[in-house]
Amino acid sequence: MKKLIFVVGAILLIVLFPIFTNNSYHLYLMNRALIHAILATGLVFLTGFAGQISLGQAGFYAIGAYTSAYFTVKLGMPITVGVIAGIVISVVAGFLLSIPSFKLKAFFLSLVTIAFGQIVWMLVINLTPITGGPSGFFGIPFYSVGNNMLSFGQVFWLFGGLLFVSVFIMYRIKHSHFGRAMLAMNDDDVATETCGISTKRLKMAAFGFSAGLAGLAGALYAHLAGFLSPEPFTFFESSNFVAMAVVGGLRHMSGGVVGGIGLTLLPEFLRFGGWENYYLMVTSIIVILIIIFVPMGLGPILESLFRKIFRLKRSNTKTL
Amino acid sequence: MLQDILQNIVSGASIGATYGLVGLGVVFLWLTISRINFANISSAMLGAYLFYSFYTQLNLGFFISFVLSIGVIALYGLGLRVFIYEPIRKRGGGRLEFVVATLMLCTFWLNLIIVVYGALPKPFPPVFGGSNDFISLGGIRIPSLYLNIYLVIAILMVFIYFILNKTLIGKSFRAAAQNREAAALMGIDVKVTTSLSFIMATVVVGIAGILLAPIYFVSLELGGGSIGVKGFASAVLGGLTNPYGTILGGISLGLLENFSTLYISSTYRDIISFSVLVAVLILKPSGIFNWKRKKI
Repeated sequence: MKKLIFVVGAILLIVLFPIFTNNSYHLYLMNRALIHAILATGLVFLTGFAGQISLGQAGFYAIGAYTSAYFTVKLGMPITVGVIAGIVISVVAGFLLSIPSFKLKAFFLSLVTIAFGQIVWMLVINLTPITGGPSGFFGIPFYSVGNNMLSFGQVFWLFGGLLFVSVFIMYRIKHSHFGRAMLAMNDDDVATETCGISTKRLKMAAFGFSAGLAGLAGALYAHLAGFLSPEPFTFFESSNFVAMAVVGGLRHMSGGVVGGIGLTLLPEFLRFGGWENYYLMVTSIIVILIIIFVPMGLGPILESLFRKIFRLKRSNTKTL
Repeated sequence: MLQDILQNIVSGASIGATYGLVGLGVVFLWLTISRINFANISSAMLGAYLFYSFYTQLNLGFFISFVLSIGVIALYGLGLRVFIYEPIRKRGGGRLEFVVATLMLCTFWLNLIIVVYGALPKPFPPVFGGSNDFISLGGIRIPSLYLNIYLVIAILMVFIYFILNKTLIGKSFRAAAQNREAAALMGIDVKVTTSLSFIMATVVVGIAGILLAPIYFVSLELGGGSIGVKGFASAVLGGLTNPYGTILGGISLGLLENFSTLYISSTYRDIISFSVLVAVLILKPSGIFNWKRKKI
């Protein structure tokens, strides 16, 4: 019962957020945070559950963003079609990127993903007819129903719903035979193969799923910002995304949400008067400190905090 | 036509050799702790900016500035071990934690440099010869900058060979690289070799930064551009364990870059070299220039 109250309370708090503030910058920021949460959730799935690594997630993010932008602006499709196309093409790219992971592990795999991210970034800069190049891609339509433009608050609910759906899908996958096989593969590839489980298929699925979420996040970002330039898709963004997943907690369901929202808002909190020059520096130091002192991430810590507050029994929420 | 080709070989090989130096930083750390420092390239940027400070801003002369900046970089390498690597290891953080911590370190240094020096590139003093100094050799112009790069790298390689093969500390370094536990049992102080590898890794990349600065200017490009990835690529071509293979890998990467600029297109130069990196990783992850065939 208490768990139910807690869950309902948390959902209400999130849903009501747009009512508390009218500041459109705060709302825009929260929307960005939700986008990052979606992307980081995909990374938690890929790294924490399936044991693969990707330092090129900004590549999928870019593919999703530019595909959706191209479909809506150049081909005149509705936004829904653009977003779905972005997801589909990202997933295909994810399947392709999973091929090196059949053979490579850890550092070697991370190098392949870095190279992938860099290649996509350079294509974004150089394929000017499609992406607009360094001068940018303009005039991407904002979310609307019929002829009514949605407000930032309504977009927040939309994104929140999508985030909830992605976490829910991840939750269902984790507790299926598929998810258990993935956890086994995370512990030991070879042993999993000897149990008659095709790790190749699992790796493809994991890369595909996380790439799909990154593509979704990219497409959502494209329509939120209305303008795309190559800057948000650099290698440093990829490393930020991985940092979000690690800070949130790689083995925890809430890792992506906590890390994505936390690391998007943290620099903004540090951006008060007189500190504008230092906030990015301080952010990276804080992330390093969190990684050193809380290697399991903030997600599990928040969970145990909530447990203490609501006196939940462990057995109730073991599956969280 | 032949002159063009020779000219490109000269310039490609010299830039590639500095990529190889950046790759050496990766190799030295991989040999001892099997970790990759993703802030590897930051040492290059720090080296270039420190040298700029000491030489141009404080007027200390070439030799003193060089030694001072290398000394600071060496201290930084030690600090990397004490403040990043050891705390993470003690608290049970794995490889991924180290990866993310060093990635964040890379961002940190970039932002620190922006705060201290500003984001605009600084001209590098012409200590390795100005842009108009060159030696003509049978119709090819070899800028003295490239000659100096070859010279420094040759000295460095002899020095590294001497340290690794002829001194006791180098022997213990190689022993610890082959088998950490066994080396510790033989009475080798593994902590010293670990510190040594951190120092060697950062110093080599710092020198590479000073050598690259005349080409890329004293700019953020040195600490956040694609040079770092090319350093990783040359380390991979050397199989991550072979220092000399890494230099060769870097040189071949530089040649590949220059010839793809010459024959294909300069915009797709980096895409081609990264595609080659991916192809090598998939087809031959043990490295092309790795004739020792040790464990990866």
